[in-house]
Amino acid sequence: MRSITKIAYYEVLHILKDPILFVVVFLAPIAYVTLFGAVYFSGLLSNIPMAIVDLDHSELSREIENAYANSPYFNIVEDVDTYEELQTAMQMGEIRSGVVIPEDLQKNTSLHRHTEVLTVYDGSNLIWGYNIQKKNIEVIKQFNSENTVAYLAGKGLSSVEISSIVNAVDFNITVWYNPNINYTYFLFMGLVMMILHQLGLLSVSLTVSREKERHSWSQYLSSVLSVQQIIMGKCLPYFIINFFNYTLLLWISAQFIHVKIEGGVLLIIILGLLYDIIITFTGFFISLKAYNSLQITRCLLLLSIPLFFLSGYTWPWAYMYEPISSLGKIMPYSWMAKGFRMVTLKNLGIAEVGVIILVMVLMALAAIIINVTFNKTQKPVQETPLSVNAGNSYPRKRHV
Amino acid sequence: MEQNEEMEEIRVISVNNLVQVISRQVVLDNVNLEVAKNECLGIYGNRGSGKTSLLHIMAGIDRFKSGRVEVLGCNVRKDQSFKKHTGLLTQKRSLFRDLRTAENFELIAALKNASRQDIERVVDDFELKPYLKEPIIMLEGGIYQRVSLACAMLNSPQLLILDEVIKDIDLYSRHLIVNRLKTFNSQGGTLVCGFSNIEFCEYMDRVGWLENRQLSILTAEEARDKYNQLDRSMADRLGNTYA
Amino acid sequence: MRKYFLIMKRECLYIWRDRTLRNIIIFGPILGILLFAYVYRMQVIQDIPTAIVDLDHSSQSCELREDLEAAQNLKVTDYPADYSDMETMIENGDIVVGIVIPEGYGKNITLKRQTRILAVIDGSNITFATPASSAIMEVTQTISAETGIKILVGMGMTLDEAQNAYQSIEFRQEAWYNPTLNYAYFLILALALNIWQQCCTLTAAVNVIGEIGMSSWLQIKASGISKLALFGSKSIVHLTIFMLLVLPVYFLAFVVFKLPLHCNFGLLLLFTFVFSIAIHSIGTMMSSLTNNAVDSSRLGMMVALPSFVLCGYTWPLEAMPAVIQKAAWILPQTWFFQGYNFMVFKGAEFNMLSYYFVAMLIIALVCYGISIIAVSWLER
Repeated sequence: MRSITKIAYYEVLHILKDPILFVVVFLAPIAYVTLFGAVYFSGLLSNIPMAIVDLDHSELSREIENAYANSPYFNIVEDVDTYEELQTAMQMGEIRSGVVIPEDLQKNTSLHRHTEVLTVYDGSNLIWGYNIQKKNIEVIKQFNSENTVAYLAGKGLSSVEISSIVNAVDFNITVWYNPNINYTYFLFMGLVMMILHQLGLLSVSLTVSREKERHSWSQYLSSVLSVQQIIMGKCLPYFIINFFNYTLLLWISAQFIHVKIEGGVLLIIILGLLYDIIITFTGFFISLKAYNSLQITRCLLLLSIPLFFLSGYTWPWAYMYEPISSLGKIMPYSWMAKGFRMVTLKNLGIAEVGVIILVMVLMALAAIIINVTFNKTQKPVQETPLSVNAGNSYPRKRHV
Repeated sequence: MEQNEEMEEIRVISVNNLVQVISRQVVLDNVNLEVAKNECLGIYGNRGSGKTSLLHIMAGIDRFKSGRVEVLGCNVRKDQSFKKHTGLLTQKRSLFRDLRTAENFELIAALKNASRQDIERVVDDFELKPYLKEPIIMLEGGIYQRVSLACAMLNSPQLLILDEVIKDIDLYSRHLIVNRLKTFNSQGGTLVCGFSNIEFCEYMDRVGWLENRQLSILTAEEARDKYNQLDRSMADRLGNTYA
Repeated sequence: MRKYFLIMKRECLYIWRDRTLRNIIIFGPILGILLFAYVYRMQVIQDIPTAIVDLDHSSQSCELREDLEAAQNLKVTDYPADYSDMETMIENGDIVVGIVIPEGYGKNITLKRQTRILAVIDGSNITFATPASSAIMEVTQTISAETGIKILVGMGMTLDEAQNAYQSIEFRQEAWYNPTLNYAYFLILALALNIWQQCCTLTAAVNVIGEIGMSSWLQIKASGISKLALFGSKSIVHLTIFMLLVLPVYFLAFVVFKLPLHCNFGLLLLFTFVFSIAIHSIGTMMSSLTNNAVDSSRLGMMVALPSFVLCGYTWPLEAMPAVIQKAAWILPQTWFFQGYNFMVFKGAEFNMLSYYFVAMLIIALVCYGISIIAVSWLER
């Protein structure tokens, strides 16, 4: 035990002394969470810039205009009077949505001639695209039902009668878990889990490769300690720091970014601990097996984006090509992101999350077991003359 | 039967048919070696002759291709317990670079299960008191070697494996180290030292001459003669006058 | 001249012999685009899994079910027996939309009494939730209208009059630039280019430190060749490699996967080239400010990684706080991905994007400038 704490103590000392490692371990998680938190802070798209090209200038066209003006989501940009201007403004990204009211709309409508109002929106960014589509439908729906009421009132029906007709079938549409369809609730915690994953791995995975590059790994190899003691000593500080970061980031997310984090505290802790075990021990294993620190750094960071999109967190597994989704299913991140969403956003209990916890327990066990393959001897250090850029490191200052 | 057991005790290292291959290159080919208790064996070889590989295998830190290596009665592939009684000093600087001298002692003592008294003992032995607070990378070559050796001796080993321990260092440190090693040897310790400067032959009981991936065992005199002979023939071949 | 050629040749050899880097830059972007192409194989959100709980089992509820089944984008996969079954299915993520037709629905309709239908949408994954709620709103609007017309006709109105009450004005919705709201068009190439830009950063991150951090730097110093010539030649090799790497990605994207391209391909290439200069300058800057290649790669990636979130390609810049919006334009990635969007989807021409080119070149100048200062300071 004394040896484990000693190794851990000196590992912490190293973290404090290596400026970049210190940043990766303590500052980068907070910095990234703050940055992404600021990016997704609003969570909702409002003030969608839109233009209305009114070619009719009638009472009816003004009513349509009012319907959009009254919507809290749209922000009408003036000075777009023709279809061509609408096209240019849309192309320049000055507006994201537009309505074109044709000439003689009112006349044709009163004559019951077929006529249509064109609503267009920018599909080049699908976050704009899907949201504007939805808001548009809302405005149109509202406008239509007001119109129907007015029409029936004009026919001399009483308001009770009208209401019973208009609301004959009343659809009560509720969105569960995320009633406002808030992007912060949706995406942010997935990003936080990715931050923990990548920065956690990045810090642990240099712990052995660093010693190898500085030749001090032979001190461990020639020591009398058991493999388990060395692993524990080396991993302990990272395990604690990672868990600390997990709680800290959750706290920041809930407190300052107002992400919805509900669900059982115990479940959140269990998920966090399992995730932490998987990250820490996988990182140690990578460190043990990798060619050098540079290789680890290069490969690890490059994996962030594929891991995120493979996880089924945004684009569901059911929509992927089978082998690709299976690839996603062996990644711990996918399960953590899914489990965390189920607990914190959907507020589900052990009955529903049980399977995910089981998968993560298995992954954690696997992560621990693979480290046993390490047997305190190393492949002899190769110094092939041709491994130019792949050399251990490029010390600019001597001895550092 | 009794004699056999006695033999076992006398034999500290035995290497049989050792083959080592690094990056598809054969470095050691069929090497055989026995080291008796209380012996001081030198391993002589030029740069890249496989000296360090052999020493690392005997210290149990490098994997090897084939053969059988026993240290203090343990087959190094199966049983690591001999590491309790060995000390290793590597040719490359292998102390913890971002720590001070005292911190290095403390961490390595933890790795070797050595006590505080052990640290005090080796610090006194190698006269390292004034350097305890220094960062390890600031130490001069001689002092650094003293610290390294002190660390290797923290666990009061029976066997020391040393790679280029007194090469290119100041005279005082060199004599101090030689002195301490002689004491270690006289108290029953066994030494295996890699070296590349023929002058150091005088300290060895026997010399293992590594050349062309093979090891041949010579006495110290034979090694020196062989070196002189080689030296002379090379000089002759190039027409240099031999002083 | 021969001297520069030799430096370039040696640089190619260096990159080729750096096995990890070689494999990453050759296979990374291509594997990336293949991966994302298969991830977004379905391309558009359709067939949103839906369940209907019919507690009424009348002919009217049957009709309603048929209407819902015919709804665009919804795919009814299940008919759970009661509400709690549906709840479980939503919790488990088996379905995204659940609709409950209450008991007595048919009776109420015939009696002209108001009935209430519940539609539940799982909001935990917005990729589904937004199109699902649009689809639900559209189908319910139609159903309300149909029911209303029936009632009005029942009250003695002519069919024409009744229809007028509901269909006074028709609204047609059109999504420009990406009419089917295709995710594959939107994301595949952008994500692959993002992998590519990270690979470029990694390559550039050994530019300076890969020389002055090695003992062979003494040889170069002793030879008297100017640093500008040395790093200039190296950089030319890097930029050439970057462009060679992006070509197969574009080939796969536009020829094999047939992603839309609304602008001149030459212009897109030129734009990509200018961006690769900017990326290279950032990597070079990192490599001149750190002590070893590991640190330089770490720093480079710490900028390259969040850039995709920050550049506003997905979550729009306009929705970010003002400070972040301004800060995002410091990154060349923002200029590139915004410009890329304009070009690929909206067919933007050079005159519209000229200041994008200028901005990236300015970023490159600043970063190269910092590198030059850093190197001359270190070698003073």
